Amino acid sequence: MLQNQIKEEKSLLQRGWWLILLIVLSLIVPFIITEFYLTILCEALVMSLLALSFNLLFGYMGQLSFGQAAFYGLGGYTVAMLMTKAQFNFWLSLIAGPVLAAIIGLIVGFFCVRLRGIYFAILTLAFGELIFFIVFKWHNFTGGDDGIQGVFPPEFLKSLISYYYFILIVFLLSAFILWKIIHSPFGQTIISMRENSERTEFLGINIARYQLIAFVIAAAFAGLAGAIWVPFYRSVAPSYLTWIKSGEPVMAAILGGPSLFFGPILGMFIMTFFHAWVLGFTVYWPVVMGALILVVIFFLPGGILGFIHEKVNQRRERLNQLMEK
Amino acid sequence: MSFDILFNQFMSGIARAALLFLVASGLSLTFGVLRVLNFAHGSLYMLGAFISYSIWKFLLMPVLGFYIAAIVAALVMAALGLLIEFVLLRRLYSRGWPEQLLATYAIVLMITDLVKWAWGGKFLSIQRPKPFTGAVFLFDFPFPSYNFFVIGLGLILVVFLWWLVYRTRLGDIIRAAASDREMVAALGIPIPWLFTLIFVLGSMIAGLSGAVTAPFGSVALGMDIEIIVECFAVVVIGGMGSLPGTLLGSFIVGQVYSFGIMFKPELALAFIFMVMAVVLIIRPWGIFGRPER
Amino acid sequence: MFLQTQGITKEFGKLRAVNNVTLEIKKGDIHAIIGPNGAGKSTYFNLVTGYHRATSGKVLFRDKEITNLPAYSRCNLGITRSFQITSIYPKLTVYESVLMGLLSHRKVTLNFFSSAKKFFKEEVWRTLEDVGLADQANTLGDSISHGDKKRLELAITLGTEPELLCLDEPTCGMSPEETDIAMSLIKKFSEERGLTILFTEHDMSVVFGIAKRISVLHQGTLIADGTPQEVRASEEVQKVYLGGSA
Repeated sequence: MLQNQIKEEKSLLQRGWWLILLIVLSLIVPFIITEFYLTILCEALVMSLLALSFNLLFGYMGQLSFGQAAFYGLGGYTVAMLMTKAQFNFWLSLIAGPVLAAIIGLIVGFFCVRLRGIYFAILTLAFGELIFFIVFKWHNFTGGDDGIQGVFPPEFLKSLISYYYFILIVFLLSAFILWKIIHSPFGQTIISMRENSERTEFLGINIARYQLIAFVIAAAFAGLAGAIWVPFYRSVAPSYLTWIKSGEPVMAAILGGPSLFFGPILGMFIMTFFHAWVLGFTVYWPVVMGALILVVIFFLPGGILGFIHEKVNQRRERLNQLMEK
Repeated sequence: MSFDILFNQFMSGIARAALLFLVASGLSLTFGVLRVLNFAHGSLYMLGAFISYSIWKFLLMPVLGFYIAAIVAALVMAALGLLIEFVLLRRLYSRGWPEQLLATYAIVLMITDLVKWAWGGKFLSIQRPKPFTGAVFLFDFPFPSYNFFVIGLGLILVVFLWWLVYRTRLGDIIRAAASDREMVAALGIPIPWLFTLIFVLGSMIAGLSGAVTAPFGSVALGMDIEIIVECFAVVVIGGMGSLPGTLLGSFIVGQVYSFGIMFKPELALAFIFMVMAVVLIIRPWGIFGRPER
Repeated sequence: MFLQTQGITKEFGKLRAVNNVTLEIKKGDIHAIIGPNGAGKSTYFNLVTGYHRATSGKVLFRDKEITNLPAYSRCNLGITRSFQITSIYPKLTVYESVLMGLLSHRKVTLNFFSSAKKFFKEEVWRTLEDVGLADQANTLGDSISHGDKKRLELAITLGTEPELLCLDEPTCGMSPEETDIAMSLIKKFSEERGLTILFTEHDMSVVFGIAKRISVLHQGTLIADGTPQEVRASEEVQKVYLGGSA
């Protein structure tokens, strides 16, 4: 029996010392920064969850979805409507949000996975627009372009700091679950689908089915992000579901680097703070986003983390070559 | 539900189909040859509409104003298309479809803000140009004669494209490049310039279509996404990268839209999606499309 | 009955690539499909493995009709194939690639929470050793030599523990040494793992070296089918393929 060992995935503890540091930091940060920045941090965490859900489809499965905002918005609207119109309790509504998003994701995904690549991408945009359109027009049910106001979290979560911790916990748990999914046999399957879809199909995998499952998972987490954000902001509006909003997790993923788990998180943090800064002096955020996308495509393919990863590997290669001499 | 009303709606559907074909044909052409799905095609359409409005407003010429504005808008969009292809798209042909799609998506974002900045969030329209200001009576129901102009333009485009693609040497090159661009390049045809030409042609048609739609009264932000979604429905239903498919898809979507509006206006878009959904289930590659294997 | 095609035909528009081929593959055989270029070998292959849908005719596998089954279903029934243009995972390691076949076959791909790398370690290492790629387990798929890629693809397909393994030109592009290794591997797997092997080839030494049965296609039609001796002796085959001489 050969003594070979495969490159064991170092446990989270071994190579994740910086992660532990970050988590500790995130626990004490409310006492260090001002309320203004804490609010932005809350938004960054929620949107990072959205970005992670997107990257399950993009970085790991290789498909572009331009409609994630629709599920984000659906999750938010579910919470808003259940709490204000049906007097549901906060926790039940919070669960209902991602569940509804997942159900709609199942229906939409069923049609989208019949096509691949570019067609899949535009179909997701099209369905996203349809959902936006329905929410926007259905004034009696969803409030139309007025949105829904007066969505309040329970008493003990009303303060900024306490809701921050709530968001942090949901985020960390969700990120952990997504991490597990990606490293599971299911995750390995969708990675293989991205790497060589035909080969995987001929190994017995029903590609459309697995894409659909991934799509539903992504929709659920996007819905969760919307669900936890709405009580924070106390309201929801159709702007949550636009195609421009759908572009934000896309932007974040390619900025931070879609090939690494933390890429979208880094990208979204940068984007959220940058967005807050830009909004300080102009309302023209889309043009900034567009320009940034072009800059990343041309000068930073692979995103920030991808770039760093390349450099580290190159250095390692060079060292190996030197050592062999 | 008398025959006259139905016929009227049918003709409206044809007008809508003509407009859709005007826009979708440019998209189909670009995709067929360059293999790039130009997301920003709808943006060029929108920009063409806004530009033609401003020129028309500026010229204040009662008869020729509209036509000049339309032609200028088309030319400006052709120039913009040239800029986009030369500066951006060219460098991305060697990259994958995600980068190409993302780049055109970035352009959509930028153009949408450009329009917002230059024209604000208003709803604009152009007056119908002479001699198409009135209505023609079809079976006692008034049918705007401008629709005939649009239908006529659509027919001219069909004939022009058919002639171009099937009866000229350029068309032979286009069809060859659509199948095997390396072979065509190996034969000494300058592929980069061919691509530029096709993209510019597509952009020009998009700009012209935008100008043509302006008299319908719906020049506003959001028309870029609206039209691209409808164009996409056309292409899904009719078949990918196929000109007859685009024609058929335009016809179907046009009719569904027209009768959908008559039935329940808010749901017109939903009806189009339903048809698209049905096609996706029974024949995902479209009516005139061919399956991948 | 193991695998049978009954009157199978495939038309691409007006071109009839495979014409009414009725053929039986017996369990445990190493069965070769040969023929000059354009004979329809690859198309026939594609019809058996589900890459193409037949225009008419039937494909039966172990008394079950599979004519309209999609490729992934056929794989789940026990038919796996390799491709003429080697189809592997360029950015996955050799180990991960072989693992994928096993994950699929052993039906754990809907497991969302366990770590993928913990599964089937023994089986993966055994396969890697059998094909001789164990020392490159951590190398990325696109960093290995062409011959190794072909072996990798073989290893990947073995992960699905097939009953019928279809190899499309398995020694294409290989040097004589690599060809010999590949041949002995194929023979070994046929015996050790009880695989039935269906393959197409251009290299006649490989065909006559290991095939137990040979079928000859010409312009889509089956013109000979039997043992190597029978095929060699067939006049029809000699005329079409071997240029008139024995």
